[in-house]
Amino acid sequence: MRLNRSIFGVLLLAVAFALTLGLASAQGVDWSSELGDHSGKTLRIIMIQDPWVGAFGAINQRFEELTGARVIIDSFGYDETYNKEVLAGTSRSSEYDVVVLDSPWIGQFAESGFVDDLTPLIAQDAAIVQFEDFVPAFQEVSRWGDEIVGIPFGAYFIMNHYRTDLFEQAGLEPVRTIDDFKAAAATFTDNPDFRNVFGTAMNNQRGAPIGQAYFEYIWNFGGRPFQSTYPGSPEPYANMTPLLDSPESIAVVEFFIEMLQYQPPGAENFAWDERATTFAVGRTAMVNAWSVRTPGFINPEQSRVGDVFATTLFPHVDGVDPVPPLGGWVMGINRYANQKDLAWDYIKWFTSPEVHKAFVLEGGPPSRLSTLQDDDVRSAQPWADTLMESQALSYAEVRPRIPEAFEIIDTIGLYVSQAVQGQLTPAEAMRRANEDVAKLLRDNGYRVDD
Amino acid sequence: MMPLQTTHNAPVGPPTGRLRGLLSAPATPFLAPAVIYLALLTLFPFIYNLVLSTTRLNLARPGQGGFVGIDNYVTLFGSDLFRIAILQTAQVAAGSITLELILGFLIARLFFAVRDVNGSSLLRTIYILPMMLTPVVSGLLWSYILNPTLGIANYLLESIGLSGFAWFSSGRTALITIIAVNSWQWGPFLMLLILAGLLSIPSEQYEAAAIDGARWYHVVRWIELPAIRDVLLIGLILRLIDNFRLFDIVYATTKGGPGTATEVVSMFAFRQVFQFFNIGYGAAASVVILVMGVLLTTFAVRFLRREETRVR
Repeated sequence: MRLNRSIFGVLLLAVAFALTLGLASAQGVDWSSELGDHSGKTLRIIMIQDPWVGAFGAINQRFEELTGARVIIDSFGYDETYNKEVLAGTSRSSEYDVVVLDSPWIGQFAESGFVDDLTPLIAQDAAIVQFEDFVPAFQEVSRWGDEIVGIPFGAYFIMNHYRTDLFEQAGLEPVRTIDDFKAAAATFTDNPDFRNVFGTAMNNQRGAPIGQAYFEYIWNFGGRPFQSTYPGSPEPYANMTPLLDSPESIAVVEFFIEMLQYQPPGAENFAWDERATTFAVGRTAMVNAWSVRTPGFINPEQSRVGDVFATTLFPHVDGVDPVPPLGGWVMGINRYANQKDLAWDYIKWFTSPEVHKAFVLEGGPPSRLSTLQDDDVRSAQPWADTLMESQALSYAEVRPRIPEAFEIIDTIGLYVSQAVQGQLTPAEAMRRANEDVAKLLRDNGYRVDD
Repeated sequence: MMPLQTTHNAPVGPPTGRLRGLLSAPATPFLAPAVIYLALLTLFPFIYNLVLSTTRLNLARPGQGGFVGIDNYVTLFGSDLFRIAILQTAQVAAGSITLELILGFLIARLFFAVRDVNGSSLLRTIYILPMMLTPVVSGLLWSYILNPTLGIANYLLESIGLSGFAWFSSGRTALITIIAVNSWQWGPFLMLLILAGLLSIPSEQYEAAAIDGARWYHVVRWIELPAIRDVLLIGLILRLIDNFRLFDIVYATTKGGPGTATEVVSMFAFRQVFQFFNIGYGAAASVVILVMGVLLTTFAVRFLRREETRVR
């Protein structure tokens, strides 16, 4: 009887929650009553200088009108953003109210106590936040233990972008597997029918660019980087014995080396910007790039391939379950901020379904299921189908999210880059990477088996 | 007006009274600001850095740092990457200084020859412009020029039928390109010093050499090189120190890659401190870099003094 009453209670709550959500989304939120009066205050946000920063400018004006607060965004390069945010946290600085975090930094910021746990605030404003509407894998990304470290707003997936005109001319189907990817890259390189075109461009630059690329591909080669980190693992970081010298890992490095011949000169030093630029200027027939770059590809001011490209899932080895790489950004509240009410008002407003849709229509990355299914969004971003397919297959731990993530990625990036340069063989490079990463993890108290 | 006494005039007492004597010396108040300044801004950071280098402090895991003695130094000297960084820093220094010296001398000689021609001072000003750029700007500028996809250098090469060049992208050429960019920026410095030395040579010496039938290499060997040697040695020491802490150009162009091709000691220390937040380990690296820099400079200064004495 007690059980029945509990079930009834849960059902009642669920119905009430659904009704609240329905009401909120159907009628829209009365922001003038939901948001406080913050006249005379200035909200400072720190974030990466990604393509969507411009969209913030367009959107924030409305928040300033609603609350009277002024919003200032400080944006930096990837490494600089990380440096400044960590230093702000360690020095207990209140300079920034809202900090925008990349997924691999979540564990570090949560464990160091640099950001607030947003769980109580989300519960308080559940109808506005509609947390369950965010892409499920990205909900996981924003969690650390029992805490919610930030609200998602910039979910990215790596998609294969390909030139429809060139593929049609070559009689090729969109790539599905790694073998397809290699074959297509070979077709377009050094081919008199496709002059000045190369097969693809990849992240080969030493450090985070190629280190992250390793994590993007390892799952799709049927491997995993650590013993208990795999889709469906109940405790992804329980056993952190690195498997970087596994046959699958070595195959990833051999693949990077093999693919160099299908890339433009100088590709050894390419990072995210360069690989995307080669596609935008028409020098490559396809590129696996983060979806945050895709709006730039259709913008005629930034691209020559606007109406001749399409997207498909990130390629994977035949017979292996695809795991499209997931990344992106969440908004957290600085633990040491002096204006937490203002910070939360901003976050809940900016990430609400209504404002998120406006952000996406300005070029932001769709991060809610409702936004991905919205007709206006699908019309503005025709790659929404690929994003929808990617999010269903993705895995929150594609890149590690522990405090040592940055160093692990950079260490792997060093050795993979040495292999790509021919300084080490792939097997030796990954043996050394495994040794260094095992030591790093062991020194920091993780379980690493001998 | 009382004559200003110096500490040399202060009474020298037994060791216990020496400090008292020093504190009561008339010159002490005048020296105090400089001593306090040095203690606060030089000595304290160095000692603090030394203390940090014996800990495992990591900002990515606040509260977990502990005393580890010389462990960081042991790890550092066992690190292949650090050894590579030291070796490549030496290669950059040797390559850059040699290039700057040769180009600096040739161009200084050219400016010296046309010193009375109208517009030569304008050309000289244009030539030293790179030296006025912030090194990171210089690095960014060249990374755009030499960008393999959008850079003008490869565009020009391709427009004359040559294939694009992997300036910063190949392990074989990246360090050479860094040396070239470094020399482009700082070559004018040595050129200015050499030119100043050449301008200080009395014209009578050239006239005498001409009357004696000296060839150009006689003039260079017996007149010009002795005249510029002192100023050149000072320039070389300064450039040696500069090259030892080379960072901005590498950071803006290759970040130490591809592979380990352009790893230098400053980049190594930067990565440990500002990317991994391994403050203890990074502090140990910076102490080693500092000690090596001091040893190098001391050696160079002694060499300079010995040379001066030998010549006199």
